Amino acid sequence: MIDVATLVTIVGMAVVTYLTRALGFLLLRNRPLGPQLTQVLNAAPGCVLIAVIAPKFVSGHPADLIALGLTVYAAARFSLLPVVVFAIVVTGLLRVLLPA
Amino acid sequence: MNALEPVLNDPPATTPHTELRRGAVAALPVLLGFIPFALVLGAQASQQQLTAGAVALMTGLNFGGGSELAAIELWTSPPAILVIVAMTLLINSRHLLMGATLAPCLSHLPLPKALGALFFMCDESWAMGLADARQRGGFSLCYFMGVSLSLWITWVTFTSLGTQIGPLLGDLRSYGFDMAFAAVFLVLLKGLWKGVHAALPWLFSLFTAALFYLLIPGGWYVLAGTVAGLVTAYLWAKP
Repeated sequence: MIDVATLVTIVGMAVVTYLTRALGFLLLRNRPLGPQLTQVLNAAPGCVLIAVIAPKFVSGHPADLIALGLTVYAAARFSLLPVVVFAIVVTGLLRVLLPA
Repeated sequence: MNALEPVLNDPPATTPHTELRRGAVAALPVLLGFIPFALVLGAQASQQQLTAGAVALMTGLNFGGGSELAAIELWTSPPAILVIVAMTLLINSRHLLMGATLAPCLSHLPLPKALGALFFMCDESWAMGLADARQRGGFSLCYFMGVSLSLWITWVTFTSLGTQIGPLLGDLRSYGFDMAFAAVFLVLLKGLWKGVHAALPWLFSLFTAALFYLLIPGGWYVLAGTVAGLVTAYLWAKP
């Protein structure tokens, strides 16, 4: 059985997370977007994605930084599956060759 | 438009079923990152005495990997409810913007349907849905749901499985699986690339997020980076 404090924490997390998912949509749903807001929203996906992986750029581990650089290079040229496999293999190999 | 005119923008013969499947197939490479991360998360949760059922409940209802990892790292017995919920809100605040960018794609749908689809929105399904919309000239809800549901099912299954088998696998992160997320995100970024000028806000976002990550403890870096990027885009947009 799950205890009450655990259940309350999980439900609390679920509620605030769902609010973040729904509120942005609800606020802009019936609003015509001006050109400036459109431009800001067009930039949003890239800004979110790069911010999420920013820690990888400053990890300070040579193996990880080289692997990241090679992954950036691969991502610019190839499609999703080969890039993901390449990233995993290269990172694993470099961590063996250049232990932190 | 004349109703009899063939709609050239529409890809031929798409049914909800084929679109769902197209999304599920497109999500397969992403699973390479999801599965090891899910097992690690489950293993860490089991070290905090969370049962498989509690983990499935958390990952199924919350469905935000970053916030769940933070919650489990902060977990005490009994859990500090407010701290964990506040951290979850902070880490997932980026969804506010993501939902806003989906508003033009979803606003024609009945409200319950749109709100239901948003429950399953995660970084990957959102970015892939938007990239697909850009490529094919229209947002496909079924494609988005195909991606989302396959990620959601995988996430819930493998996080709860991780509580059982994760401890046997050791630290999967040391093998390089963690780089799968960076790889997915970088490929998605390439899909959004529209030249150096348009990417300037990304640079500010990256720089600010990295700085916050290094200097300020907690999950502030995603929010700070995103806001910095958007302020740049706003100033850049001025004539």
